[in-house]
Amino acid sequence: MGEPAYTVASDSETTGEEKTLPLPEIAIGIDIGTSQCSVAVWNGSQVELLKNKRNQKLMKSFVTFKDESPSGGVTSQFSHEHEMLSGDTIFNMKRLIGRVDTDPVVHASKNLPFLVQTLDIGVRPFIAALVNNVWRSTTPEEVLAMFLVELRLMTESHLKRPIRNVVLTVPVSFSRFQLTRLERACAMAGLHVLRLMPEPTAVALLYGQQQQKASQETMGSGSEKIALIFNMGAGYCDVAVTATAGGVSQIKALAGNTIGGEDLLQNMMRHLIPDSENIFKRHGVEEIKSMALLRVATQDAIHQLSTQTSVQVDVDLGDGVKICKVVDRAEFEEVNKEVFEKCESLIIQCLHDAKVDVEDVNDVIVVGGCSYIPRVKNLVSKICKVTEVYKGINPLEGAVCGAAMEGAVASGIIDPFGNLDLLTIQATPLAIGIRADGNKFVPVIPRNTTMPARKDLLFTTIHDNQTEALILVYEGEGKKAEENHLLGYFKIMGIPTAPKGVPEINVCMDIDAANVLRVLAGVVMPGSRTPAVPVMEVRMPMVDDGHGWCAEALNRTYGATMDLVTLKKA
Amino acid sequence: MRCYGLTIPGSDNRFFIPTLTPPSLSFKSKPITRISFGSKLKATFNDGVVADQLSFYDLLGISESGSLMDIKSAYKQLARKYHPDVSPPGRVEEYTKRFIQVQEAYETLSDPSRRIMYDRDMARGIHLAFNARKRYNHSDNQVSEQRGEWKSRWQSQLSGLKRRSESKDAAENMSWAARMRQQREEL
Repeated sequence: MGEPAYTVASDSETTGEEKTLPLPEIAIGIDIGTSQCSVAVWNGSQVELLKNKRNQKLMKSFVTFKDESPSGGVTSQFSHEHEMLSGDTIFNMKRLIGRVDTDPVVHASKNLPFLVQTLDIGVRPFIAALVNNVWRSTTPEEVLAMFLVELRLMTESHLKRPIRNVVLTVPVSFSRFQLTRLERACAMAGLHVLRLMPEPTAVALLYGQQQQKASQETMGSGSEKIALIFNMGAGYCDVAVTATAGGVSQIKALAGNTIGGEDLLQNMMRHLIPDSENIFKRHGVEEIKSMALLRVATQDAIHQLSTQTSVQVDVDLGDGVKICKVVDRAEFEEVNKEVFEKCESLIIQCLHDAKVDVEDVNDVIVVGGCSYIPRVKNLVSKICKVTEVYKGINPLEGAVCGAAMEGAVASGIIDPFGNLDLLTIQATPLAIGIRADGNKFVPVIPRNTTMPARKDLLFTTIHDNQTEALILVYEGEGKKAEENHLLGYFKIMGIPTAPKGVPEINVCMDIDAANVLRVLAGVVMPGSRTPAVPVMEVRMPMVDDGHGWCAEALNRTYGATMDLVTLKKA
Repeated sequence: MRCYGLTIPGSDNRFFIPTLTPPSLSFKSKPITRISFGSKLKATFNDGVVADQLSFYDLLGISESGSLMDIKSAYKQLARKYHPDVSPPGRVEEYTKRFIQVQEAYETLSDPSRRIMYDRDMARGIHLAFNARKRYNHSDNQVSEQRGEWKSRWQSQLSGLKRRSESKDAAENMSWAARMRQQREEL
């Protein structure tokens, strides 16, 4: 590829407000996975998956830095496995994007065959590829952008038109901050994000369309159908419960976690070489090669264990380290017991949140790369008490097809046969709230709230004559504030002097049609009819990188002087 | 992403000693009445809400004897109309507000226990205001809710008595929303 690999957009351009396009351009759907990715588009009558020059519908997500001209998995001549050996290939970026170096997920990425270094101070990790024996630093956004450019060029040559709008699928557990990083990567690649869809909701949309079609063909009543969608890829595990009728899919609940094939792989590697972390610590050329060889061999073994009950692992890692071992399926399942338990609890939680009994679930859909693992399929069907999972959706293509369909719907395309007569009512995957009552996280918009949404909660001061209050906005599920993602913070000033507990501070959160979060804060004194200070309205997220230490720094400087408590009424 | 391992020293406000001298006690004992203010601030935030006077049944366009099936299908039909993804470009903001109201009505009426509560209040002719619900920590506390049930029942009886003696007329004028909020917060 001779042309520039990517264009750099300014930071302010990331969210892109330009929504008025003169022509109805059909947005494409992109599933950018931790391990592989795909592109699909509505071709006028149905969804079509696009192939690269090597005739692949699913392309490995990686970028190789060679001699200052990076190339990604869309165009690369070599296989992912071959490229990994020399340390100049970066992958698994979806696991690292928007995370700081205190995050356990970043720590778990240290034995990848390139450099992930942490200083544990709450800044972005140092990620680098080894090019001609020099570490070339990069960021997850940059790598994803390079990759997205390749996808864009591929799609443009296919469709013979410029591509601008995309619908991207994202993991349920992504915070709003991570979403902005993903949008930034798209902006760098010259793409505008029309919608970000949690992966299982894209599958839900496809399911809703299939159900609608089926009920039209049979002239059925189109009664409500409930489906549980379990999606486990290389980096993330997501669950959704959807209720669909007449093309309207209502997301009842979402649950997500950072567990995936990568964890299965790492556990297996540790099982094969218990001391692997120490062996590979030096991160020299030789160690990287050994790490990559071990990785490839383990990955192959796991793949084979999906179809056979035991497998022979035979690999020479160099420097006298050799593995020659038979691994059986039971062993693999035992080593990853915890991962599977986490999957189970995620499903149980999602059913509980949806207030749906297992008996009421009509269909169970299992998708994602890990859906081929027998244990995964079994655990889902066991909890959902079904003997067979839903067959109508391809496990590796469901999400991208749903995204392409949403792309057509959101672009205003009308299908004469009613195939696009669809609507997905989304829910918030994570709670959004503020720090109050000491160091607690107090949700204002609970998780699984239907979007768009607007909710408010009352708080009050904790000190007499407290004139300022700090609003720290977090997103997540943790009980303590610091267990959640910090989205931003601002100060309310000029609170009239009064004893503690008297001023009423109303914190309102608003998620609009475009999924933009705004936080409003106002102060009212009892007996007064008007707000004591002008209402503050702030768009979130507002923090940039390095937000990990920012909460700590704020606390060191201000302590509890500007704290709030929830207002309890007798 | 998460700020793991970053302890926040000294953030526990129990250990914070206020340096300001507390003002006179008489000030402190005066309880704040939510009613006088609640609607006010809401007006600032929810400007232009049109459905203030409509009941949840009116919002969904169904009769008060409507079945759960009716509620569900009415909701899905209205969602097709008001959801921002399908509403006409020029009216997104207006329709979004409407959608949030429909959502609220649906959530209340599709939950049997909340519907009973709502119907009871409607039968008593209590003014029905929109934005009825306060779902503070609603989904997460199921277990502790159950455990604390007897306690909250007892407390609600107690505070019920207190409320009646404190603000006899206020309780009658209180909007359905305020009453619901109060009940929810006592849980």
